[in-house]
Amino acid sequence: MASINTGFSKELTKFGAFDFNACYNCGTCTAVCSLSTGEDSFPREMIRYSVLGLEDDIKASLKPWLCYYCGECTTHCPQEADPGELMMSLRRWLTSVYDWTGLSGLLYRSLTASIIAMTLTALAVIAYAVVTNFDLEKIMHTGHIFEMVVIGTVFTVILLPNLLRMWNFIILKPGIKVPFKNYVTGLRDLVVHMFTQKRTLGCDDSQVRWFEHLILVFGYLGLLFTTVFLNWFSSESTFVIVLGYVVSIIIFTVTVIFVSERIRKRREMSKKSQPSDWMFVVWLFMMGLSAFAVRLFIDLGILQNNIWLYLAHMIILVQWALVIVPFGKWTHFLYRSFAMYFDAIKKN
Amino acid sequence: MNKKLGVYICHCGGNISDYIDVEKVKAAVAGEDGVYLAKTTMFACSDATQKEMVEDIRSNNLDGIVVASCSPKLHLLTFRAVSERALLNKYNYVHANIREQGSWAHSDDKAGATEKAVSLVKAAIAKVRLARSLDPIIIPSKKAVAIIGAGVAGMRAAIELADMGCPVTLVEREYFVGGRVAQWDVMFTTNQTGKELVTRLYNEVIARDNITLLTGAEVVANSGSIGDFTLKIKVTPRYMKEKCDQNNLLKAIEACPVVVPDDFNFNITSRKAIYHNFPGEFPQYPVIDIKNCTRCGECEKICSSVDFSQQEQTVEVHVGSVVMATGFDPYTPAEGEFGYKLSDFVVTLPQFKRLTDINKDNLVYNGREIRNIAYIYCVGSRQSEGDNKYCSRYCCTSAIHASLEARNKFRNVNNFHFTRGIRTYGKQELLYAESLRKGDVYLQAYEENPPLVEVKDGQITVTINDIMTGGREISVIPDLLVLVTGMVPRADNSIASKFKLPKGRDSFFNEIHMKLRPVETVIDGVTISGACQGPKNITESVNSALSAAAKSYSFVNKGELALEPIIAGIDKDLCTWCGECEKACPFDAIKKEKQGEKEIAVINNSVCKGCGMCLPVCPVNAINLIAFSDREIESMIDALVSV
Repeated sequence: MASINTGFSKELTKFGAFDFNACYNCGTCTAVCSLSTGEDSFPREMIRYSVLGLEDDIKASLKPWLCYYCGECTTHCPQEADPGELMMSLRRWLTSVYDWTGLSGLLYRSLTASIIAMTLTALAVIAYAVVTNFDLEKIMHTGHIFEMVVIGTVFTVILLPNLLRMWNFIILKPGIKVPFKNYVTGLRDLVVHMFTQKRTLGCDDSQVRWFEHLILVFGYLGLLFTTVFLNWFSSESTFVIVLGYVVSIIIFTVTVIFVSERIRKRREMSKKSQPSDWMFVVWLFMMGLSAFAVRLFIDLGILQNNIWLYLAHMIILVQWALVIVPFGKWTHFLYRSFAMYFDAIKKN
Repeated sequence: MNKKLGVYICHCGGNISDYIDVEKVKAAVAGEDGVYLAKTTMFACSDATQKEMVEDIRSNNLDGIVVASCSPKLHLLTFRAVSERALLNKYNYVHANIREQGSWAHSDDKAGATEKAVSLVKAAIAKVRLARSLDPIIIPSKKAVAIIGAGVAGMRAAIELADMGCPVTLVEREYFVGGRVAQWDVMFTTNQTGKELVTRLYNEVIARDNITLLTGAEVVANSGSIGDFTLKIKVTPRYMKEKCDQNNLLKAIEACPVVVPDDFNFNITSRKAIYHNFPGEFPQYPVIDIKNCTRCGECEKICSSVDFSQQEQTVEVHVGSVVMATGFDPYTPAEGEFGYKLSDFVVTLPQFKRLTDINKDNLVYNGREIRNIAYIYCVGSRQSEGDNKYCSRYCCTSAIHASLEARNKFRNVNNFHFTRGIRTYGKQELLYAESLRKGDVYLQAYEENPPLVEVKDGQITVTINDIMTGGREISVIPDLLVLVTGMVPRADNSIASKFKLPKGRDSFFNEIHMKLRPVETVIDGVTISGACQGPKNITESVNSALSAAAKSYSFVNKGELALEPIIAGIDKDLCTWCGECEKACPFDAIKKEKQGEKEIAVINNSVCKGCGMCLPVCPVNAINLIAFSDREIESMIDALVSV
């Protein structure tokens, strides 16, 4: 027996949901959705859960992650209840629910908190630079160490526990019995979806969207690999240097497309941008651009005289690694692919 | 008897001629006695054929015509009009139905169908040979209308009739006008209060000299018929003089020791035996409820306007037509129906509407502040097993509107609607949309699995298997449970028996034809309007009231009425009055009358419909139906059997 929580609607609006209470349950959204199936029927059911505030049901559901936001539902909704944006808001809300620290929720709900977090991280970098007396070599060395340490720490301290919480909500709590074998066989789905986002191809809209995203993912992973493991900024290898240039160009070109889409608001999915959405694409863009510039300055031998550039890059990097990756939109990279993984192991 | 007759046999495209050999029929009847011309036609009802018929009748001076085609239900009036255009009395036209009773019924036997058609046409010829020209019966009709009920429908109809120059007697059983609408606060879509609507209508009513308003008045007897109804109306006095000092009145009300439930507030509050409904009620002077008054005299001591010397009166009014506008009662749930009477916090929708009106800042009922409100819809309506199978139409809108009012007027109100599907048709849909957007929660179940109400230690729990959430069991613990009750006919509907008004299966008053004659009843001269006919909202009630006013006016405006002449007639010599015909008559048209030494039956020409029910029961065959006399019918039978 479930009880209604009318407060939940209000809570969700803080995550960007809008007027979904107007839904009169016609089901047009579900009918037009090209990813919805008889077994996994959405988004109407999710709207219903949200209206009634059935939080446990939403936590146990993978459906918000099964939606790839083509926006057909929003276009066709006769009540203008914006089901697409509701699904997006549920993903934001779930991200905050999975996060054990509670910081995700705080940053999603409050723009002020996000600004404070960004400012604090920036100040910390500047403070460190002051402490080192603006010693570029030392700062760059620390930057490289920082990258490796943070990747490990964020993953083990924040992201891994959050994934375990997700697993708890989805598999353990609802009492779903999954044979161990499935956890192994499901890994294939995890890898495929993590690196290809192939489910997006099921959406009816242009597949350009999928391709742009795919390129961006590879660009981003490429930059991560080149800077962290191949130590791009210190590398002498032509291959590594060129690779770094290519992937950073990819990042800032594709993100320019993404940002312009959000400004032009042509597609349903780019019409309603939350601060977290802006932050994600803009920081990604700045990261690509600043990394590119730093290496360029190194190659031109002028970085020593333009230490501010490296500091700027460092600030962007730290903000990215400490705010956006663990508590921001970056996590969709993990949750989306793990959702497909859990979905696969539940169904096998 | 040398009548010149014309016979027309219709192909009806192929509907008839595909099965019946119309040429053969024509040949078979052409030689019949008196038949001057016989024709077949592709479509008898077509303009061209109608013109041809008129031309035939005029140029050949025909004395009668037979049209053999479809059912007379379809085209009787068409060919009567053809006769009239040809200056032939329309009762000299006789119809033979060879489609529904011929080609369609016997499509498997063409020869048999043709043979039958010949017989039917010959029988029609036999009847037309004996047909007489008839003139309509003209009866006087008094130019005055009585309207029973002074709610919105009654008052609106009264104003309309008065403006057309027709004197109106407006009869209201209660002491105050306005009916149910006076009880409502702000209403959708105009945002006016019920009081505002009633005030407006009342001011218009009293501004018209030709409207006589009687309150505390009840029709106790009715005699007569269309054009001449005589109503006896009992008028109970208010026991108050018209002018009344406001201060003294309030003191007098305070002094009255009698406390009774206040039905204006659907018994959620109480009132004294001397009372008024609300400061703006009409007529604006109070009443002593004499049924409950103990005559203790306390009020009399304080207020000089109290006047126990007033007497009950019976007035008699003569009118040509009567408009019924007696309204509805809200459905009263059975004890235990969705927790009704099991908790002090289960109320009906009308009670809830009064409650939101009475409370000013906080919504408090029985000492409890009300925040979470559950509404169960379709209580007493749409019962597939129960008596009220109909949808009451107004309740979805009214409940949503009331819930929004509560939400807007009071703080922290949460609404939970347990529905069977929302029916806010037309513009009322806007209200539903607003309610959804404001965050009201709607849950839905089918009739066979209704919400379950449990009352335990003063706590109400409403549980539903919500079909919108895949049948999930969801429960709400409300502070107040509102049963959204529909409309039922007035509990005291004795007025119907005084007019012999027929009721439908739902027990509301019945119209003749739902679509084409929506305000007339089978009792000529009596029209129906508003919710006495079935559930209606105010717009619909006023629509039907204006329609009924126009229809009633058409009965009385000329001062006389032309009635169909095909009625029964009594042979005074043969009748010995046994009373069988009176019993058989469904229209109350036959009465016993003394003529000299003898008692005989007499037909009321203005009431008789010519149905013929009285004919077979007469043991001495003293009754004949004009145009269907024994001679005519026997001649038709002869024609049918002689083939």
